[in-house]
Amino acid sequence: MQRNNLRKWSLLLGAVAIVALPMPSWAQLTKYDLESRMGVESHVGNITGHAKAAKADYRRYCVVCHGELGDGNGESFPWIDPKPRDFQLGVFKCRSTPTGTLPTDQDLFDTLARGLDRSNMPQWSTFTKQQRADLVAWVKHFSPRWTNEKPGTPITIPPEPEVTPERIKAGRDVFARVQCWKCHGVLGQANGPSAATLTDDLGRPIAAYNFTEGARPKCGDTDRDIYRIFMTGLDGTPMPSFADNIKPDEAWDLVFYLRTLMSQNSKEKAMAKQLGLKPVDPNAPAGQQ
Amino acid sequence: MSKRYNFAAVLSAVVLICCGALILNQNVNAAGEGKITGTVKLDGPAPHMKGIDMGKDPYCAKAHANDPAHLETYVVGADGGLANVVVYISEGLSGSAAAESSATEPVFDQKNCMYTPHVLGLTVEQKFKVTTSDQTTHNIHPLPNPMTGNIPWNQSQPPGAAPVEKSWKAPEMIPVQCNIHPWMHGWFAVVKGPHATSDTKGTYTISNVPAGNYTVTAWQEAAGTQTQKVTVAAGGAGSANFTFKPK
Amino acid sequence: MRLSSHSRLRDVSYFGSLVLIAVFVMLACSPRANALPAFARKYGLRCSACHESWPMLNYFGQKFKDNGYQLMNDRDAPIWQSPGYWPVTFRMVSMWHRVSTGKVLVDTYSPGLTDPTGVAIQRITTSGFDLSGLDLHTGGTLDKNISFFLLPSSDPAGSFHFETVMARLDNLFGSPWLNIKLGKFELDNLLSEKRPLTLTGNGGIYQLYHFIPVGDGNIFGQIGDNQLGAELMGHSWNDRTRYSAALLSSNDGTTQLPYGNAYSGFFTASQAFDTGKAGVQRIGFYAMIGQAPTTWRTSGGATGFLPGAAIGNKSFSREGFVGQFYFGQHVDLQVVTQHGQDSAWFGQGYGDLIDGVATLNNTTGTVLPAGSRSPSWNGVLFEPHYIYSPQLIFIGRYETIRMSQQSTPGTPSNLGNISSYTLAFRYNPFMTSRAGFAWHNEYNWLHQDGTGPSLGLTSTNVNTSEVMTGFDFDF
Repeated sequence: MQRNNLRKWSLLLGAVAIVALPMPSWAQLTKYDLESRMGVESHVGNITGHAKAAKADYRRYCVVCHGELGDGNGESFPWIDPKPRDFQLGVFKCRSTPTGTLPTDQDLFDTLARGLDRSNMPQWSTFTKQQRADLVAWVKHFSPRWTNEKPGTPITIPPEPEVTPERIKAGRDVFARVQCWKCHGVLGQANGPSAATLTDDLGRPIAAYNFTEGARPKCGDTDRDIYRIFMTGLDGTPMPSFADNIKPDEAWDLVFYLRTLMSQNSKEKAMAKQLGLKPVDPNAPAGQQ
Repeated sequence: MSKRYNFAAVLSAVVLICCGALILNQNVNAAGEGKITGTVKLDGPAPHMKGIDMGKDPYCAKAHANDPAHLETYVVGADGGLANVVVYISEGLSGSAAAESSATEPVFDQKNCMYTPHVLGLTVEQKFKVTTSDQTTHNIHPLPNPMTGNIPWNQSQPPGAAPVEKSWKAPEMIPVQCNIHPWMHGWFAVVKGPHATSDTKGTYTISNVPAGNYTVTAWQEAAGTQTQKVTVAAGGAGSANFTFKPK
Repeated sequence: MRLSSHSRLRDVSYFGSLVLIAVFVMLACSPRANALPAFARKYGLRCSACHESWPMLNYFGQKFKDNGYQLMNDRDAPIWQSPGYWPVTFRMVSMWHRVSTGKVLVDTYSPGLTDPTGVAIQRITTSGFDLSGLDLHTGGTLDKNISFFLLPSSDPAGSFHFETVMARLDNLFGSPWLNIKLGKFELDNLLSEKRPLTLTGNGGIYQLYHFIPVGDGNIFGQIGDNQLGAELMGHSWNDRTRYSAALLSSNDGTTQLPYGNAYSGFFTASQAFDTGKAGVQRIGFYAMIGQAPTTWRTSGGATGFLPGAAIGNKSFSREGFVGQFYFGQHVDLQVVTQHGQDSAWFGQGYGDLIDGVATLNNTTGTVLPAGSRSPSWNGVLFEPHYIYSPQLIFIGRYETIRMSQQSTPGTPSNLGNISSYTLAFRYNPFMTSRAGFAWHNEYNWLHQDGTGPSLGLTSTNVNTSEVMTGFDFDF
């Protein structure tokens, strides 16, 4: 009994201590806090990245935008748009994991080499894999979220089925049902009724992806990347996750339909042309496309 | 007896006394739970709430064809009662009482392109459901500060979508928005321990309050916070009335 | 700061003084290096993102250049820039330096006589404050996947020439393997002499890139000089594999076709390997194979040279290996080798006009002196760097060129051999995306065999050294 009570007592003391600590406001880790987090590691394949090893590279390549404290407040912050990511928040667009969870190390590793199209984030594909893994660990050391949480479990992506005209048609129905066009427009031109008022999590205006411009989607342009984008959402932006509302098989249909909106030539585009597929009707009542 | 044993004996005695006091205290608390009641009023005339043009989404516009929607920053009743004010105990709760999360699972509904309720009071780790009653797609996008431990997420809810079940890890007033319908703004008011949200008359009742001396905080999304000291006797009722000035 | 055609050294007896003049001519040229705050400003990146230490590129900067000065983020076209943005960078160096040439032929005087009465060999040392020329870089994109570069460059007196002028079609058919460039441009030398970390007269150039044997008339094989031509260039998406093939006019970058209808080709390819913690290692080769005229057609007399009408093409070649080796985050070693060979005609002095006069002209019936051979040589360059931080770098360089066959039998086998040692450090007190500023310190010592002045029959060796300290800045 005494031991149980002791435990209770210490728990209570702990709880009081936590309540008594001042609540951190947005992105307020200090250099001192970060120093204590230098031991963070990343694991990508059989490579182990060490935060400490990336210090020089971060200073050389990254600090100008993402800042000494990783808060996205580097010297270029005022001049660039979209604004640099605040690593202290631990919120990332390009993930293989569900919305509201941390990305995997592999996700960050891939983002580094892929870059983020239509932003100032270049493709750091010239780095060695070790350099990239080290930088991933470094990025993680900025956010206490990696101490408190585990990365989400990557969503399962079934093997890509064969494209058929039926699938493209079915994809169009998904596009209509979940109302992608509200922001992206019926032709994918980013001119849907809600496109003009979109803001990111920090209230800054943000544009929906325009499928017709020929630009790559932010988080990759393979079919699997596109699948992943709408099934995980782009956290920090208005792009939600559709994981609960689109079944995996339907998701592939949607991927095929989205390909028909893109300016690049594709099998899907040719099929849609043959089908004479018309854009969805924004005024049709739900479920009656 | 060696000195060490002496010390151990004294320590155990102290620990025993402390624990005893703690258990006794808890027993007393459990014996009679009281409540805190009161009214929240707005000082002066109700501020004009702008009408919402839902023309961009015909479904929403149609839903409000005969009942134009207005912003809900201040929802004021006939006699000046201020609704959607969350009243909670900010100081004085024992650790265990503060840590308790409510077992009920409240619902945050998207109805006629508005949030019902506009403000949803929650305790830490309390599960809640986000539902949609609309025939248009919403995205439910809370914007907590990730530094608190609450993680932002963003999920779509097309017509007929299943409810989304979630909870929050830390106390925080979390704005929630729908990017598709930019006028849709609501709040998840996440607090520790017992709390209540005022109705359109401005009245509220916090139940399950153990006896004790408390500081009670009332939070309104635009007008900010006010605090008062309240004493609740075992099984009795404390009272705290608040008056906000519109900002 | 490089050997121009006019400072080419030919006559052994005047060599000492010519070396001295050459040093000044070299100093007179501008540093020409490309380190562009204009790009840094456009993309909000620091110098250190693209430069190991500016102006030398790192792999990321090399990829940026290979993409046609594009980050490939769909925001490269100028239409995305603020209309007020003008992609121009000025670069200049202010310095103090001291040049010492070991052997110079100097007249001696006797008391009371105004005319020199004899000659003596002396060391000449000059020191003082000085300037480089001005580089006016402008470059970037005209549209997505159409890039350009323009570099008017002056000598310290302000006399300008066009160092680089080119436009480039990037990523043809959406493929990074196809890029076409037209104009006057730098050959695709991995170790770029246009971005050297050294600035002195002899240390600021790579001897290997400009070597011409003593008495040789071929100025066309200088791979360090920007050439007029067209280039097909390509690379893998991460720039690990790259190639370049260029067709060049054999004019050594001089406009208005002063020579004949001769072309040369420059080919290079390289492959890089990810070696984990050590870094990315790159190895490659290059070859320049070309022809240039030796016969000047004239009109109205032996000196009435018809521009562009030279014929009698003779061949030359330069080839070698290049290596870029990294040993962790702080140390790297750059290596270039060269084997060069000229036609015997060049070796005997045919080829370029000297000050507009062809002292040797391969007219009908001209024969080479008996026993004339093709001159050939081998050279190697090692350039280690110690990068303390992006703001402080230590540079060393050792270059040596050895003649393996002299054109004229009986010529001392080491005539014209060069050894050059350079030590330098550059300190950048700040590193931003707006401007570059480096405190540059350098020492160079150059040894050349047999080119010193001589009072007797035997030739002498000459040593030249230079020390400098200066501010290298651009914005």
